Amino acid sequence: MVLKINNISKQFGGITALSNVSFSITEGEILGLIGPNGAGKTTMFNMITSVLAPTSGDISFYDEQISGLKSHQITTKGICRTFQNIRLFPEMTVIENVMTGSHCRTKSGVWKSVFRTKSQKQEEKEIYDKAKQLLETVNLLKERETLGKNLAYGQQRRLEIARALASEPKLLLLDEPAAGMNEQETVELHRLITKIRDMGITILLIEHDMPLVMKTCDRIVVLNFGKKIAEGEPKAIQSNPEVIKAYLGTEGDDDIA
Amino acid sequence: MLGELINPYYLQVASFILINIILGLSIYVTLASGQLSLGSAGFMAVGAYTTALLTTNFEVPLLVGILAGVMLAGIFGIIVGIPSLRLRGVFLAIATLGFGEIVRVFIVNTESLTKGAIGISGIPQLGREILDKLEVIGFDPEILGLKANQFTFLIVFILLLIIVIVLVCFFSRQKNSRVGRAFSAINMDEQAAASMGINVTYYKVLSFTQGAMLAGLAGALYAHVLSYISPADFTYHKAVEILTFSVFGGSEVVGGAIFGATFLTLLPETLRAISEYRYMIYGILLVVMMAYRPQGVIDEQMMRWFKRRKGRRQQHGTENK
Repeated sequence: MVLKINNISKQFGGITALSNVSFSITEGEILGLIGPNGAGKTTMFNMITSVLAPTSGDISFYDEQISGLKSHQITTKGICRTFQNIRLFPEMTVIENVMTGSHCRTKSGVWKSVFRTKSQKQEEKEIYDKAKQLLETVNLLKERETLGKNLAYGQQRRLEIARALASEPKLLLLDEPAAGMNEQETVELHRLITKIRDMGITILLIEHDMPLVMKTCDRIVVLNFGKKIAEGEPKAIQSNPEVIKAYLGTEGDDDIA
Repeated sequence: MLGELINPYYLQVASFILINIILGLSIYVTLASGQLSLGSAGFMAVGAYTTALLTTNFEVPLLVGILAGVMLAGIFGIIVGIPSLRLRGVFLAIATLGFGEIVRVFIVNTESLTKGAIGISGIPQLGREILDKLEVIGFDPEILGLKANQFTFLIVFILLLIIVIVLVCFFSRQKNSRVGRAFSAINMDEQAAASMGINVTYYKVLSFTQGAMLAGLAGALYAHVLSYISPADFTYHKAVEILTFSVFGGSEVVGGAIFGATFLTLLPETLRAISEYRYMIYGILLVVMMAYRPQGVIDEQMMRWFKRRKGRRQQHGTENK
């Protein structure tokens, strides 16, 4: 079991964002996390990465408790994420962005950096080469000296994925990677996500683009108003009446409206 | 021959430029991780008073006094830096400004120790001390055709120049390393930095403390160059002046602090007439810079342009690295 979410609840004041949600992810799987806006998907990401602390419940990663750790410790354990509203380092070049992603896998401190010791030079070369390789994977190698902020939108999304991969995650959390992408880019994204899975990385994917979700995910968890309403294979989810109700509403709802 | 070329006045101005560069660097380092500190005058006072008191009262060697000043400023940096982690931008600036004032008021009020507002005089002079040491081993500045006082100014200048070169190398290298990338990542987006595995607390305190130590060093050197210090040297005006060096010159790159400190130290010296209106000019400069070039005269883009030109020239010579 890569990740086990156990009875997680989160309250913001009087509002319950998530209540008693449990699910787990197995090794090598692409799990989709879907639900209408405000269902609590990003809140879930924020709790997995310790940006927020759950009100109750716990999260374990490879059978180890991770709730209560700091964000950077979670990344060091092997969970890395991308953001719904892209958060690159805008004034860094593309390759520097990716090299920064390697931070938790490298060790050189102030003195090693200043004296340029052999091990530091070696380390810098390694992460530079690795960054180049990752940029090749996301098809951004040519743009490596461009500033992050000068990339096109779709490229920024791909760069964010490359930066996350540089931290050598075992579990990658993708928060709406297809948002704002055109059809062609979405097709490429699908290919990229499966390629990452083939690298041996487990993926948890939040996405609104249903064709992409159905095509990419092995399993899907559906949230609505902070509760898990369904879990299963894409086909089963597509025909699940609860899910259809959550997304499209029912005739009863129409009457009220 | 050499004796005619060496003018103590110019050397004195040059020495102040070098000390101001160190102060500019202290702002640069703290800003590198996105923290705006106005505490540099306070840390400078800590460094200056520590070494002044140790060397005048206990006849501690200069080097030990200066190092003690740097260390104590660093410790104060950690003490101020940790609670300040909760503060951002203007709020941090105000809190650090408060720290600077606390230090100054403390110095003014503990007359038994610091002689209060009168200040401490008779602090051993850096150049003198070195000359004394050299004379013991039979060195005479006459060999170089210099008078004793010319030699002391020259040796202070050379020593400061070496310190500044070492510091500039230190911080340029740090910038292009894992540590430097962590600083700028935090500066650009703290949450993204944390989610990339960067320990934000550690690096913010590190950069704040480095800034405090630099200011402490500048203060300690200032005390031994001038041989007289008083609380009036470390007021709020000084903090703003130091900030101006970095903001005017460019706060993104090491070169900015060098340019800013040099230009703004020379300005009142060359134009004697405007010396009195110095702070007014600083104020105008800050306003104009904020409106038209907030990143300072020298910025990252300019450095990159230079690098690319250099890179192109090198590529003609040798292939690949």
